[in-house]
Amino acid sequence: MMNCADYRRAVLAGPRDADPLLRLHRDGCRECLEYTDRLLLFESRLERAMRVSVAAAGDARVVPLRVPAAARASAAPGGLKARRGWLAMAASVLILVAVAGGLWLAEPHSSLAADVVAHMAGEPQAWARTDIPATAPELAQALGGAHLRLDPKAGMVSYARSCQFRAHRVPHLVVQTEMGPVTVMVLAHESVSKPERFDEQGYHGVILPIPGRGSLAVLARGQSPSPDMLKQIASRVQDALVWTG
Amino acid sequence: MNDQVGGNLKRNRFHALCQSLRPDLLRFAFWLSRDLALAEDVVQEAMLRAWKAQDSLLDEGAAKPWFLTIIRREYARSFERKRLVTVDIDELVAREEPTLATTQADDLAELRAALFKLPDEYREPLVLQVLMGYSTAEIAAELNLSNAAVLTRLFRGRNHLRALCGEDTRMDPE
Repeated sequence: MMNCADYRRAVLAGPRDADPLLRLHRDGCRECLEYTDRLLLFESRLERAMRVSVAAAGDARVVPLRVPAAARASAAPGGLKARRGWLAMAASVLILVAVAGGLWLAEPHSSLAADVVAHMAGEPQAWARTDIPATAPELAQALGGAHLRLDPKAGMVSYARSCQFRAHRVPHLVVQTEMGPVTVMVLAHESVSKPERFDEQGYHGVILPIPGRGSLAVLARGQSPSPDMLKQIASRVQDALVWTG
Repeated sequence: MNDQVGGNLKRNRFHALCQSLRPDLLRFAFWLSRDLALAEDVVQEAMLRAWKAQDSLLDEGAAKPWFLTIIRREYARSFERKRLVTVDIDELVAREEPTLATTQADDLAELRAALFKLPDEYREPLVLQVLMGYSTAEIAAELNLSNAAVLTRLFRGRNHLRALCGEDTRMDPE
């Protein structure tokens, strides 16, 4: 059995490491579980800190738009700097189009979505496609703190955990759908005014407002299910939430 | 005619690839150099080199590490081209303030300034892991280090960073 110092050394090197030995220690050690939750919060901030805004600076020099011309010109006399002026002018129309797209793509659409995605990336083991449901005690433990239970019409839940998210414990569930695993987070402390779609770092999803109860984040990895299908799944899960307090 | 169509397709494909990767590549170069202007130059030159050498990219799925390697080499070349003077970290932070600033309510700016202070040997593997999603083995291969050395650097880097940010490190191992 791994000791606490070894565990913490390992998670400091890789807080999102899904090593079963680390999980085994974490599950049996409350202090290390809390330590990991704090570290993951820091990690989420670190990831966002590294995502500096580069859209404004970069769009003035959209490289791909200039690459073909630059490559053709490489045989001509004159250095790169001399080519930059007319290349920039020639690309200016395309840059106008790229600015809008670049700004949209380069930054997370909301910090809430960014945090949800960062949290997901930290629990890769949750995404397994499986037909083994979470046990009733696991589900009760994940949902109980939020005064919730889930009607079976939501679908088969394969993963249920109460996670630290933005200084609150929130239920984190994975529902197995016909289109693959879909993750659900019930964010009682986070409000959104209208449904917010996001598509970041290989995850896409939607954050739905739950009037008087915060919001619900539903997301999937890769291209499937489609955004419309995901919205349907989100509505189904939302309908299946039963508030007990 | 067919050559021209094929050339356009190839160019458009490369264009799309660069477009999709560019934000993260620029961020990587920024954290490598701590200088946005230099990062832009490095990425620009790297893209040109990549365009010329695109036939060596056999699998588009491996484009990101391929570009990263080119960027690291291009960054190293920038040292050969000019003599880089030693710069005070506080001056560096002040110079890059527009990039480090954040409109969000949290303290990301403080964390970004702390990242600037982190020694290169810790910052680079950390950026590869956190920003670029590299595994320990991939970082080891890129930096030509052993897995154990990478883990040590990641551990020390995070440890150092957390201390710089005033995080509670009492439970951190020695």
